[in-house]
Amino acid sequence: MGPVELLHMSVFSQSFSPCGRFLAAGNNYGEIAVFSLSAALSPDASEASQKPILNFTAHDGPVFSLLSTDTHLLSAGNGEISAWSWAETSLEIPEINAMIINPKDNSLIVGGGDNNIHIMDMETGIFKSVLKGHTDYIHCLCFKEREEEILSGGEDGAVRIWGHTEIPLSHFQTCSGMASQECARPQFGKWISCLATDSDWMLCGGGPSLSLWHLRSMSPTSVFPLPGCQREAVFYQDLIMSVGEGPHVSHCLHGGTVKAQIPCTPSSLNTLALNLKNSEHRVMTVGGSSHQIDVFTNFSYRAFSLSF
Amino acid sequence: MFHFYHVSKTGSERVNDADICFIQCSVHFITLKKLNRLAHMRLKKGRDQTHEAKQRVDVLHLQLQNLLYEVMHLQKEISKCLEFKSQHEEIELVSEEEFFQEAPAEISRPHVTRDDNHQLTLARLDWELEQRKRLAEQYKMSLARKEKIQKAIEQKREYLSSLQPGLQNIMQASLPVQEYLSMPFEQMQKQAEVARHLPPPLYVLLVQAAAYGQACDKTLSVNISGDVDEAKALSRRPEDSQEDESDSDAEEEQQNTKRRRATVGVQLEDKRKAMLRRHPLSLCVDLKCKDGSVLHLFFYYLMNLNILTVKTKVSTATDLSGAVSAGELLNSESLLNCLYASDHGKETPNPANRYQFDKVGITTFADYVSDLGHPYVWVQKLGGLQFSSDGAQVCLRGSALSASHMEKTMKLLRGRLQARLALHKQFSSLEHSIIPVSSECQHLFPAKVVSGLTRWTMMSYQEFTHVLKAGLVCETDLFFMAVVERGTARLLAAVVLNPRYPEVMPLFSLSLHWKGERSGRTEDNLRAMESEVNVFRAELQGPRPGLQLLTNQIQRLCVCLDVYLETESQVCDGSEGPREFPREKMCLRTARGPSRLKPFKYNHPQGFFSHR
Repeated sequence: MGPVELLHMSVFSQSFSPCGRFLAAGNNYGEIAVFSLSAALSPDASEASQKPILNFTAHDGPVFSLLSTDTHLLSAGNGEISAWSWAETSLEIPEINAMIINPKDNSLIVGGGDNNIHIMDMETGIFKSVLKGHTDYIHCLCFKEREEEILSGGEDGAVRIWGHTEIPLSHFQTCSGMASQECARPQFGKWISCLATDSDWMLCGGGPSLSLWHLRSMSPTSVFPLPGCQREAVFYQDLIMSVGEGPHVSHCLHGGTVKAQIPCTPSSLNTLALNLKNSEHRVMTVGGSSHQIDVFTNFSYRAFSLSF
Repeated sequence: MFHFYHVSKTGSERVNDADICFIQCSVHFITLKKLNRLAHMRLKKGRDQTHEAKQRVDVLHLQLQNLLYEVMHLQKEISKCLEFKSQHEEIELVSEEEFFQEAPAEISRPHVTRDDNHQLTLARLDWELEQRKRLAEQYKMSLARKEKIQKAIEQKREYLSSLQPGLQNIMQASLPVQEYLSMPFEQMQKQAEVARHLPPPLYVLLVQAAAYGQACDKTLSVNISGDVDEAKALSRRPEDSQEDESDSDAEEEQQNTKRRRATVGVQLEDKRKAMLRRHPLSLCVDLKCKDGSVLHLFFYYLMNLNILTVKTKVSTATDLSGAVSAGELLNSESLLNCLYASDHGKETPNPANRYQFDKVGITTFADYVSDLGHPYVWVQKLGGLQFSSDGAQVCLRGSALSASHMEKTMKLLRGRLQARLALHKQFSSLEHSIIPVSSECQHLFPAKVVSGLTRWTMMSYQEFTHVLKAGLVCETDLFFMAVVERGTARLLAAVVLNPRYPEVMPLFSLSLHWKGERSGRTEDNLRAMESEVNVFRAELQGPRPGLQLLTNQIQRLCVCLDVYLETESQVCDGSEGPREFPREKMCLRTARGPSRLKPFKYNHPQGFFSHR
């Protein structure tokens, strides 16, 4: 990796290991780097501990999404998914932007460039079903555990909710009806690039502003006045954290106010991950348009950066 | 007396007693006087006797002294006589045995001389005289012979010198033959003759360069130029010059105490000049290229600093003018900058020079570089000079070091010249807003490219720093600004050209002025365009030796701008009226991935755009 390549590197996806001691990040060159969080967070950490302990080329194209299971790290490149055992095998489809797991029936739900959502059985590796409905490629997926429903958001600006059948339970365009005045931002477009759900509540954002929706009534309750397009958002305790265009992590309250914007190194961020499984290494890491991944030990400020 | 007085006092009853006493007193007085007289006379007699004795002693004493003086005088005379060296003792005589053996009987007269030393010496002297007379005669004869032979030699010499012009004519006549046969013997001899006076590093360079030229590269030629006589004078005179220095130092000190202020500055200046003196001879190496341009390299040796420096000159077959921005490219100061990475040639590579500089108050060598030439590290290596800071690798010295670097350096030099000439041509075409894409590289770009280059200018380092770059830029790089336009959109590209182009790719930094201002720092798509142009060297460099790199990068920039503008119009739906840039490029998808990048990659025969 020469300095020019580092300059043009973007980090698109992150995933913590099941034990919580390692962070895997994927970049636009198709490489995955594994960082040791315990080394980086330890009191005698040095420059070397902020470098990856393992760095390998996983795919030809960019690695847009990474997912950790109990034993494997799944990475998706252009039309292929590889599973690396918190060390490897492989499979097939066009660019995959999002992957989630349905733990109840052990299936992998994949959404990507062909406008469809594919569900694969993890044990056999066979694709069980295809959910069609989106008219443009799928940006993000999330899973409602209680009802076992899948939410998907795509380039066409629609958020669809899928149940056990192949027909969407419901779908709504964020740019239609009452919703449009509040959250739509036509200067950016209508694409939805981030989705998060907390059973009754759903966050979605992208071209339209980041907004909090109440699922049962299908209406937005609050709209967050964040300037850029948000690419990833999560619920954390009583806060909402989101990242996107602009070199900061935004902390927002459910009421619709932006509590804080924490600056970070990359000029715009693609991915945010919280390490909640391991109480020792409770960190938040963000990556984006830079070869550096910022690590936040206290969520209010950036502690240090790992670099590819 | 008392008795008399007493008696006289006692009175006249005793008148008889008084008279008796009186008579007795007078008798005593007379006796006293007589005794006194006697004493005086005895004294006198004694004195007289002493006096006489003394006189006798004096006489004897005088006699003694006279005698002593005479003795001393005689002794001196004797010693003088004894010390007398007669001349005959200085003559080296043959030893006695030899004398008795060689001398004829009438001279040696052994029966007499054996006993009598005096006679022996006389005989020996005689013999000496005889021998000398004989030898003198021989000497005269030899002298006469020598004269004769001398005359004969003179005659022969005259004869030879009369031959000289004839030989010269023959040599001249043979020159064309030598050239025809490409065996320039005479030239090489002359060069070898002069080469003997070269200082060692230049000699090594000459030998290695000539050898390389003969063996591998017919277009390389080496010449020696400079003042041979001065060089000869230099080599002859090292002891003299040291003495002169010490004398002149003493003189200068005396002068100093009288006229301190006037001479210190001048003195320092002179010392500096002396330290930076060049050897009178220099090497000129010419590298010719296929298109007729020549790179002239002049190598100088700084004697006191023990380093080599180089100056360059480029002469081209055609006149190179018209490209304003190309002014810096063939500038002889910077032409050979960074031939090897980070070899700037501003400081002397010999660490010992630091101490020398401190003595004469030179702070940096960079001030003198334009006069004296650049002391690049590769120049030192070609001359076989190795300085310890060069790392603990294989420790070659002298010719081996030079030989190991020669081929690579010559290739780099040639490559550098060709790259710069190619850039020169490209620049003059870029300034006319034409991007010269050669036919081998046409496949990288679609047939129709609407965006065009409207401006190509030079920038300075200060203007560039605010545009950033993470430590990839330094002062020796060349900076340019390219402006690409289509319709109302203007793309400003700041270009950093490393002196080692095309080994090091030029870097582009973009900012777009179209409905607001966006730059590669803030927008992902512009960043993707930058990476499209900066990163993919293997695709963009074109056929070897990769001189098309810059123009291909610019062309690709234009293509990417086309794609950007045409696909961007789709996002803002309807609310702004007709699109400014209709979709002409064939793209499978206009957005892909979480950052929704545009399809910048061109696929060749099919002619569509896709994502990487």
